[in-house]
Amino acid sequence: MGLAKPADGKRVVLRRSTRRAILVWAFLAPSLLIFLLYRILPLLWNVVLSFEAWSPLKPAVFIGLDNYQEMLFDDDVFWQALWNTFGIIASAPIGIAIALGLALLVHSNIRGREVYRTIIFVSYPLMTVAVAIIWRWMFDERVGLINYAARSLHLVDKPIPFLNSFTWALPSVIAANIWQMLGFYMVIILSGLQTIPGNLYEAAGIDGANAFHRFIRITVPLLKPSLFLCFVIGMLNSVTSFDLIYVMTSGGPGRATEILITYIYKLGFNETRFDYAAAVTVTFFILLLGITYLANRLSGGNAGAVERE
Amino acid sequence: MMRQRRTWPIHLTLIAVSAVMLLPFYWVFKTSISGENIFSYPPNIIPRDPNPFYYVDVWYAIPFARYFLNSVIVSAITITANVVLNAMAGYALTQNFRGKGFVLLLFLSCMMIPFQATIIPAYLITGKLGLLDSYLGLSLPLFSTIICIFVYKAAFDAVPRSLIDAARVDGLSQWTIIWRVMLPLARSATATNVILSFIWSWNNFMWPLIVTRTPEMQTLPLGLARFLSYQEDSTGALYAFCIMVLAPGLLLFLMAQKEFVQGLSAGATKG
Repeated sequence: MGLAKPADGKRVVLRRSTRRAILVWAFLAPSLLIFLLYRILPLLWNVVLSFEAWSPLKPAVFIGLDNYQEMLFDDDVFWQALWNTFGIIASAPIGIAIALGLALLVHSNIRGREVYRTIIFVSYPLMTVAVAIIWRWMFDERVGLINYAARSLHLVDKPIPFLNSFTWALPSVIAANIWQMLGFYMVIILSGLQTIPGNLYEAAGIDGANAFHRFIRITVPLLKPSLFLCFVIGMLNSVTSFDLIYVMTSGGPGRATEILITYIYKLGFNETRFDYAAAVTVTFFILLLGITYLANRLSGGNAGAVERE
Repeated sequence: MMRQRRTWPIHLTLIAVSAVMLLPFYWVFKTSISGENIFSYPPNIIPRDPNPFYYVDVWYAIPFARYFLNSVIVSAITITANVVLNAMAGYALTQNFRGKGFVLLLFLSCMMIPFQATIIPAYLITGKLGLLDSYLGLSLPLFSTIICIFVYKAAFDAVPRSLIDAARVDGLSQWTIIWRVMLPLARSATATNVILSFIWSWNNFMWPLIVTRTPEMQTLPLGLARFLSYQEDSTGALYAFCIMVLAPGLLLFLMAQKEFVQGLSAGATKG
């Protein structure tokens, strides 16, 4: 903490560079340790565990690909959870498209846009468990607001048991998820919109481009990095929204809303099958990496470079 | 966008969207002070005979104070750790040193590992450290977050070079420069760190669900989920509990919305 001790010329220069290196690594060490302990080590451990037969208090036995074999060929629940996960991933673009529309609206020069932004964003930082309880209530068969509205408008004859229906449960959960993520998408897209210079639109306007052309030729291409980020972060957020599903449906009815993350949890902590859960986790992780890679390619391939400035 | 147009269609759309966003909150709030539409159909729009009884129920039916205290302790530990560790790491990343490229790459790839997906080994590791069912075990995985490190890095990078050089010429040590020059100038980064880490830790559900063993260590989200499992949807108390849990996050967000949004968009766009 104390001030640098006055010392003579050359030695100070030498010591300063080594001292700085020590300082830098000492500053980085705690964070690196946390990431090592809770990101990298668990990931590696998962990979190792997925090739073993192991449960607590028993020695681990190497069993090669047996876990994967069981997962791919003998486990219908895994496939169901995988498809449901894909369903949630596929819903991210819907949310992003809605958010893009909203962002364009609140980006324009209208009165009260700050208020609209706040209202649209407010659901994002709230506790997902509470949000899930709110939506259970909205979707309720007997007294839910959605059934009440649908019946008042004569859209349905009898109430739909949204969260207990094999057809409606997953779309309902996805709707709640989009509702919560909408504000986040909007904020990211807005910050992207602010980087687009206004004179581009003016120039295009002089050249006779109409609003639709300006949107397709200027807004969308320049927003690509933001849209990519929305998709990746939104996807990661959605497929790991364990709390939403756990509280709204616990994966039910049957396995209709089971996704990989809830399945991994159940395998690990209800059935104590850590080894098998690890194989599912590794598959899940490879899936996420693959989709991120694809999204990166689709958005022009250099979106990762944005993060490195 | 530059020209003046009729704005009422825009307002109409945005008002409709706002209604969709706000109606669920209103509905739950209404139920929490009246409880009536649990039993009545069609439901009333305006609460009839509002009363605070359900809130009183919550206070007596469950150890709300205990859950609240646990949540506050875990959040306080998380926030402190985040501000200290992220500021340190963020400062380190503004320096030039050997291996910087590697560290950056490591951070960015860690960003791609969702913590929830590695929950089982994380649980086993915490068990080996002997931290299951403890405040430290609850908060440790959230001690440092990569987005927040980069928020600090960006803030420190923005401090004018000349200012640091001037401080050095004046004979201030590196520590003093960090403490007296850099940190005060990075105040908004600190605010962002506090808010983001608070929200993440306050709302966290899956990790506490796995790590806590005893009811005495449960945090608010766990208490809420547990309350749901034995109350079902039959009482207004559940919704009163929801409102009580949502209120702190909501208040903080409304007070510090600017920092929150800035943090998210800075963390997302600048990495």
